[in-house]
Amino acid sequence: MSNFSDAPAAITCKGVWQVFGQNPEQNLKEALEKSGGDSREAAKELRSRGLIPAVQNANFEVHEGELFVIMGLSGSGKSTMIRAISCLIDATGGEISLEGEDILKVSKKRMIELRRHKLGMVFQHFGLFPHMTVAENVAFPLKMQGQDKASRIARALEVIKLVGLEGREGAFPRELSGGQKQRVGIARSLAVNPDIWFLDEPFSALDPLIRRQLQDEFLNIQATLRKSIVFITHDITEALKLADRIAIMKDGEIVQIGTPTEIVLHPVNDYVAEFSKDVAKGRHAKVASVTDTESPLPENMPDDPGLKTGMTIDTALAKCMSLYEPVPVKDDDGKVVGFVHPHELAAALQAETDQ
Amino acid sequence: MTLAASSHTKPRHGAGLSLSPGARAGWISALVGLVCILLAASMPWLVKWPAALTIPAAEWIGAFMDVVLSWLKPSARLFSEMLAYPMTWANVLLIATPWPIVIAVVTAIGWYLGGTRMAALGLFGLSFVLASGYWVESMNTLALVAVSVPLALAAGLAIGILAYELPKFRHPVQALLDIMQTVPTFAYLTPLLVLFGFGPVVGLIASAIYAAPPMARNVLLGLDRVEDDIKDAAVMSGGNRMHQLFLVEIPSAATQIMVGVNQSLMAALSMVIIAAVIGGFNDIGWEVLLTMRKAQFGQSFLAGLVIVVFAMVIDRMSGALAMERKRYDVRVIGILMAIAVAFTLLMWGNLPEPSAFAWFDGVADRVDAGLGAFTAANGATLDTFKNTVLFYIMLPLRIGFDNAVLPFTWGFAWTQNMSFALLGGATVLAVLLTLRGRGVAGAVVLLLAITLETGIAELPWPFVMIGTALLGWVSGGIRLSVLVTSLMGIILISGLWERALLSLYLSGVSVLACAILGGAVGLLCAVSPLAWRVVRPICDMLQTIPLFVFLIPVLMFFQIGEFSAFLAICAYAIVPMIRYTHHGLINTPDDMIEAAISSGATGSQIMREVRIPYAVPTILLGVNQTILYAFSMLVIAALIGTTGLGQSIYIALGSADVGLGLAAGFAMAILALVADRIVQGFAEEQRKALGL
Repeated sequence: MSNFSDAPAAITCKGVWQVFGQNPEQNLKEALEKSGGDSREAAKELRSRGLIPAVQNANFEVHEGELFVIMGLSGSGKSTMIRAISCLIDATGGEISLEGEDILKVSKKRMIELRRHKLGMVFQHFGLFPHMTVAENVAFPLKMQGQDKASRIARALEVIKLVGLEGREGAFPRELSGGQKQRVGIARSLAVNPDIWFLDEPFSALDPLIRRQLQDEFLNIQATLRKSIVFITHDITEALKLADRIAIMKDGEIVQIGTPTEIVLHPVNDYVAEFSKDVAKGRHAKVASVTDTESPLPENMPDDPGLKTGMTIDTALAKCMSLYEPVPVKDDDGKVVGFVHPHELAAALQAETDQ
Repeated sequence: MTLAASSHTKPRHGAGLSLSPGARAGWISALVGLVCILLAASMPWLVKWPAALTIPAAEWIGAFMDVVLSWLKPSARLFSEMLAYPMTWANVLLIATPWPIVIAVVTAIGWYLGGTRMAALGLFGLSFVLASGYWVESMNTLALVAVSVPLALAAGLAIGILAYELPKFRHPVQALLDIMQTVPTFAYLTPLLVLFGFGPVVGLIASAIYAAPPMARNVLLGLDRVEDDIKDAAVMSGGNRMHQLFLVEIPSAATQIMVGVNQSLMAALSMVIIAAVIGGFNDIGWEVLLTMRKAQFGQSFLAGLVIVVFAMVIDRMSGALAMERKRYDVRVIGILMAIAVAFTLLMWGNLPEPSAFAWFDGVADRVDAGLGAFTAANGATLDTFKNTVLFYIMLPLRIGFDNAVLPFTWGFAWTQNMSFALLGGATVLAVLLTLRGRGVAGAVVLLLAITLETGIAELPWPFVMIGTALLGWVSGGIRLSVLVTSLMGIILISGLWERALLSLYLSGVSVLACAILGGAVGLLCAVSPLAWRVVRPICDMLQTIPLFVFLIPVLMFFQIGEFSAFLAICAYAIVPMIRYTHHGLINTPDDMIEAAISSGATGSQIMREVRIPYAVPTILLGVNQTILYAFSMLVIAALIGTTGLGQSIYIALGSADVGLGLAAGFAMAILALVADRIVQGFAEEQRKALGL
């Protein structure tokens, strides 16, 4: 897995609040003053005043090329969160910057510019325009840019090909299946070749088979395009499968941010642990998470089953079934970076029961 | 896959000469029109349907109805005698009861239905009626409503249940309801007059007939909408059909049925007031008519206001029936009644006669005087406004440029060369547009030019017939085309064609004005919630006012004539256009709006590219309603001077000419029905295209 922490931040959220109700700015200010900056107390205060703090003091960065998943149950504030970042609603407090530009301060005109050139978004219920063909739907953002018909249709066809809908460009949304509709949604959001890509539960309305198929294709697209992505889901399996990093939200709060391995192996509290309980950990946790890279390599490592840092623990275990001595772990280039005891692989899967 | 795709990838704006069905239909009609105009001089029968081929429909219907009516007359007269009793009782009861008690009863009903707000409405509403000095007249009207509505409700309920229980009756019943509601009210006053004799019973029966269909429709709709689970639960509980229907299904449909009661009440009130034109009963509608005829607009306005107050009280209170409501303390009713009775007893002997109140007569006189002064001072401006619209918009649309453009209005005379220039220019433009792939726009340009050249009232009949047939075909396929063509054919050969075209012209102009103005207002309201807050109560008000009352203000300013009729029709028919446009535009699904925003669309781009296209089917339904509203007002507007079918119906009423009244009434219903079906067809097609 590539490491993004060195890459520059594409999206930065600092102390973002989204409060619904009467006069939210004023109330938020007062609540924060009263609580002395403690966000839980402030949220409590806001609730007692009859307001809804849908997002509380959210802090995170999404690096360039990173696939950042926000996961939570319904009502956890994840949809509000993505609407605040994409500026579909105005955040009540805090700072949100996209590629260094504070979007809470930019003019309406500039925001429209940003949307026309830098941002793309996919919606849970597709949001296709029923009076336009597939090609017209996909070309819509380009039309907003003011591109002429020939060039925007040409570009639309390119993206339609990318999502595998060739031949359906003249169809209307009503003639498509759910999976095809979302392909159109994805194509439309990619039409302007955005740097930042928002996806709001894009696969939640699809049936499981189609969902898996689209997830795989989505990963393929991301592997070539390398967008900075904020992806919303309520499905932990989907989050673990897709994410570079995951933020878990509960009641408007981000309770943990971490890589899939961290979430699975080191949940910060019972709430997060509850999510990963039913997840086959070995399929998500990587060998890197249990590799000892600090201690000097043991002298005696008779076996080399060929473990790599990016391998899942399940795969590694399968290779070490009958081994008892420490084994070396190599990186993608084949260089030995550390070692692991086979019993530690098995122990990692039991992490939960130890706590 | 590729096969399916290729059928979808055909160009939407026909390239080259492959025209869309709409464009093809438009072009064919336009070409027929051009041919008719060119050949008109040598073949006059192309413009005017030859008289030799006309059947005297009015006479035939008259003769037929004479037989039927004389056969029915004895039983009808008996029925009329019988109805006279409850009517007299209701009348005596309402008039003999001391007014404080009547007011208290209405206030108590208001309290029971809607708490303080409704009670206040009842109290102030009736107090206003009392103070206006029109108490007796109002009670007479109320007595008519009180007797006709139970009849209408019972009939409506029975018809609704019948259509629901016996599926084979459903279609005929729905057709009958359509006819009952589209045949103008004036038209069936004439045969009723012959049947039941002169007197208030005619108004009563007419209003019962008019008020039954909304009840029947809502009963049927309500029963249809009861969830299958509920119906099945009733069956599984072991109820027989009667149990299921009366213990489960009808109570489950109660809300919708109450909507029917509300609509039925309003229809009855409206009709009772219209029926005043046959006179013989001292009710409030008669008062309006009388004062209007005497040009006492202040008084007429006051009486009109009393009707509006009445309508508001009845509408809001019965409307509360159809809403979730909480229980209000019944003891308040007792207290109210006790106060009223105590007051009456205390004042017994000194209680002023209701007719002694005339607190607003001074106001009415001042309104009269003020109005006189206003029209005297601004008469020139008003006339200029009226004449501008008449000479430059209405008249050309009615009789065409060739007759309407005269030296004394336009400053020059229309010559044959100008006709050629207009039609030739339009043809060139239409061909150019079509060649650039905009076939529909091209055809519309040409059709518009033809209409402006000849005028709607003088359109050649082959053009209208073929146009209607093709329009029906594009909108709803071959079946609709056959239906509308044969219906229009009936008018064509019945000798009512010219009058029908005149009616078509006036309603067409009004609908056009309503569509443009109402569409603009609806758009404004969709953009600005503030505007909607202002417009909404006005719309509510306009929809509550009985048709008749619309005539008063327009007469005050513009006297009798076509222009006043036009304004009255517009004032009434614009409401659905505003409502539907607003509704359609603000109900775009959120995810579509968000998708548009995140594509970088500006507010106006969202409106143009997303909201408006999505709202088209809803807006078309608004146009449809506007057309039906315009037709029903057209006949009422005949009272203040229109030509065409409305006038014929009104004349027939005056001379008790059953044949003419019915024939013209049916012709009117046919026009309304044809317009309704065609527009509905387009709306349906649009909805399908949007996948709704």
